[in-house]
Amino acid sequence: MIYNDKLGEVMDLNALIKIIEKIGKVEIENITITADELIINIPSAPPIVIPQTPSIKEKLADEGIIEIKDVPELDWEPPIEKYKNSIREVQFGKPKSEGGRGVVVKIGGQRALYRFEEPQPNPPVVTFDIFDIPMPGLPKPIRQFFQDVMEDPCEWARKCVKEFGADMITIHHISTDPKIKDKSPKEAAKLMEDLLQAVDVPFVIGGSGNPQKDPLVLEACAEVTEGDRCLLASANLELDYKKIVDAAMKYDHNVLAWSIMDPNMARDLNRKLIEAGLDPNRIVMDPTTCALGYGIEFSINAMTRLRLNGLKGDKLVNMPMSSGTTNANGAREAWMNNPEWGPREYRLPLWEITTGITMMMCGVDLFMMLNPIAVRTLKEIGKTLTTKPGEVKLNTNNYDWIVAKA
Amino acid sequence: MPKKISAMDIYKLLPKANCKKCGYPSCMAFAAKLLEKEATLDQCPILDTPKFKKNKEKILELISPPVKEVWFGNDERKAVMGGDEVMYRYQLSFFNPTPIGIDISDELSEEEIKNRAKEIENFVFERTGEKLKLDFIVIRNASGNAEKFKKAIEIVEKETKMPICIASLNPEVIKEALKVVKSKPMVYAATKETLNDFIKVIKELKKEKDVVLVLSSNNVKDLKNMAAKCLANGIEDLVLEPHTYPENIAETLDLNVMIRRSAIEREDKYLGFPILNLPINAYYYALKNDCPISGFFEDKEVVAKMFEATIAATLLNRYADALIMHGMDIWELMPVLTLRQCIYTDPRKPQAVEPGLYPIGNPDENSPVILTTNFSLTFYTVTGDFEKDNVTCWLLVMDTGGKAVDVSVAGGQYCGENAKKLIEETGIAEKVNHRIIILPALAASTRGDIEDKTGWTCVIGTRDSSQVGEFLRKNWDRILKEWKEKNKIN
Repeated sequence: MIYNDKLGEVMDLNALIKIIEKIGKVEIENITITADELIINIPSAPPIVIPQTPSIKEKLADEGIIEIKDVPELDWEPPIEKYKNSIREVQFGKPKSEGGRGVVVKIGGQRALYRFEEPQPNPPVVTFDIFDIPMPGLPKPIRQFFQDVMEDPCEWARKCVKEFGADMITIHHISTDPKIKDKSPKEAAKLMEDLLQAVDVPFVIGGSGNPQKDPLVLEACAEVTEGDRCLLASANLELDYKKIVDAAMKYDHNVLAWSIMDPNMARDLNRKLIEAGLDPNRIVMDPTTCALGYGIEFSINAMTRLRLNGLKGDKLVNMPMSSGTTNANGAREAWMNNPEWGPREYRLPLWEITTGITMMMCGVDLFMMLNPIAVRTLKEIGKTLTTKPGEVKLNTNNYDWIVAKA
Repeated sequence: MPKKISAMDIYKLLPKANCKKCGYPSCMAFAAKLLEKEATLDQCPILDTPKFKKNKEKILELISPPVKEVWFGNDERKAVMGGDEVMYRYQLSFFNPTPIGIDISDELSEEEIKNRAKEIENFVFERTGEKLKLDFIVIRNASGNAEKFKKAIEIVEKETKMPICIASLNPEVIKEALKVVKSKPMVYAATKETLNDFIKVIKELKKEKDVVLVLSSNNVKDLKNMAAKCLANGIEDLVLEPHTYPENIAETLDLNVMIRRSAIEREDKYLGFPILNLPINAYYYALKNDCPISGFFEDKEVVAKMFEATIAATLLNRYADALIMHGMDIWELMPVLTLRQCIYTDPRKPQAVEPGLYPIGNPDENSPVILTTNFSLTFYTVTGDFEKDNVTCWLLVMDTGGKAVDVSVAGGQYCGENAKKLIEETGIAEKVNHRIIILPALAASTRGDIEDKTGWTCVIGTRDSSQVGEFLRKNWDRILKEWKEKNKIN
């Protein structure tokens, strides 16, 4: 029922509708709604925006004044670590005053990992691979460097020292392999005598890889090079290492301890060599270098762990390390002729360089190498590691590249 | 020493409602997955409520790596740097393989810019089943002119999907450039002198969350204070660039180590940012100065690129989280990309492929059967060689726990028992009408054992898989014929 207060009467719906049609709207007061159930839908309204005074920051921004927060100056100390132990120093060659040929090479001796912690006493050393027979199968871009001297190991050695900057020479007595020429230990020793006359750098003496023959070859060579402090390569668990240990102690040489990518194996080998009578200061470790792309990360782990453990106090692994960087040349990316990969003249040295630099960054001290380009590169970068911070004047502008001609 | 946190530490800060909205059965399970980096905090909606805001921040701090993970790019491609937890890869693994960026000068013609940009985007070197690519483009303001700079940036963003770095030391030029950049760029770079100006520019444009700012200084204390100032002003995506000295790379190596050690071992959060190095400096240095490679090649460009690759490799071994280079030749990038792939391989994962039978070429019942291991490197090398040399055979890949031939022969996994199992599981006997297995020469010592256990005849093949093609061409027909005669089969 609707009460029309203007007319003072009660209206029915039809009358109400007539008013609405005429006027368009009607105002109803005092509504009483009786219902069993009421459903109320409240349409969502846009969020209410309360106008605020713009914050000072934005006001400043509008005016072009950005407030930059300042901070109190913070201190910083170079993170220098103190290590329990140092790496043993190993010497090759003897000065003339002691009956040697004059050139002395030392590796190891580090008391810390980095030059900003403690000066690094000895730069990385390169020993150049030569063979007692002209090595077949060497890729041409390398062979071209010593094609002219490969028939004569003495000439080969001379060229490496004179032209390629070899600190030491590694002579591989490949021809003693029964499957190759089966030369006798005596013949190998004769070659050693000739080589001693040819150059005055220290030697690494390598066999052929035959486990039965090698100890005999190394023993014979050790005898004729007595007192010269060569590196006998190598003692490992596959052969009669006692023979090599005896030769080293009797004739005053060092021993390369070769294990395969496992720091525990390296440690175990060292222990056995020492038990067999070897002076631990005559050991150089070779945990095996895999070529870039063919397991180099395993070598990285092995070298890193050995160097860290040595510095932290393990006296069974604090020896200098060696790397068979030449292994890099076995990678197909290095030697294969493949036009899709660009000239192999560039790939070959880069593969040996990259492998070697990676090993150097893990703390390796002695590098067995074959490519003169890689040798010079590793030696020069290696030298920078032994400079003192600030010693070399830095004169390049770090930002020249931004404006350089394309 | 880096802090060690447990799932319990995280669980204590979670809502503990066990509502499963994160997709895991319980809050404890979620905590464990967060720790393993297999879940992200955003998966829990309750952590977004005001009540848990502080807890969320605390958890973030607990699980954030000491070297912040910083990305730039767009929805389609991101260059991600940092995220590392340890100093040495053997301790855990390294994360986010170092993105490599190549420069484009804004002085090149529009056509040259477009071509170089596309070349960078399309570059690929494939090895061991993985496509190795480049990661970002650096547009450098060689002209000094803001308009040219903007144009170059626009071309690169139009023609490619690559993440970009815009390089200029002038904050005014950067300001103009940022107005046209569509993606989230890396901005190179603010120095101690220009830092205030760079911060101002970024704040004016309200891009604090939309850029990665490179801080460049050869003084670590300065870098630290620059980072602190940026953080205080809301710029949190930072990269540290300590100067790259090609004339004595040991300086840069030291700076990298000091920054990294401060972040990880001294927990200095102001130095906990990715490191950017510049092998490109070595390239330009070698064009004008002597370097170790000078004299070996006539072409100075070649020398410069080889030196650049050498410096890049050195820095990759010492905490470089991003690199800017110039050379793009395949021979220069192959060693750098391969090294990156090796360093960032997760040492915890065995590198193995599925063992089983792999037909190579279109083998039939007369084709040879060759037995190798499931070490990924072995597998990809062998199959790569076979495909190149058109070898047709049945390749049996034995489960040696991901060990190579010589290692698994020594370790006993390459043996008769395993070979027998493999033959049974693959049903190879039904595929061929002979019973001959060719073994790699390195496995010659296992011949007797394999013949005994399997009943098949073993023939010793070659030392290297690249020699197999020729070996088969010369010998297979004869071997098959002799075997059939011996076993009286037609």
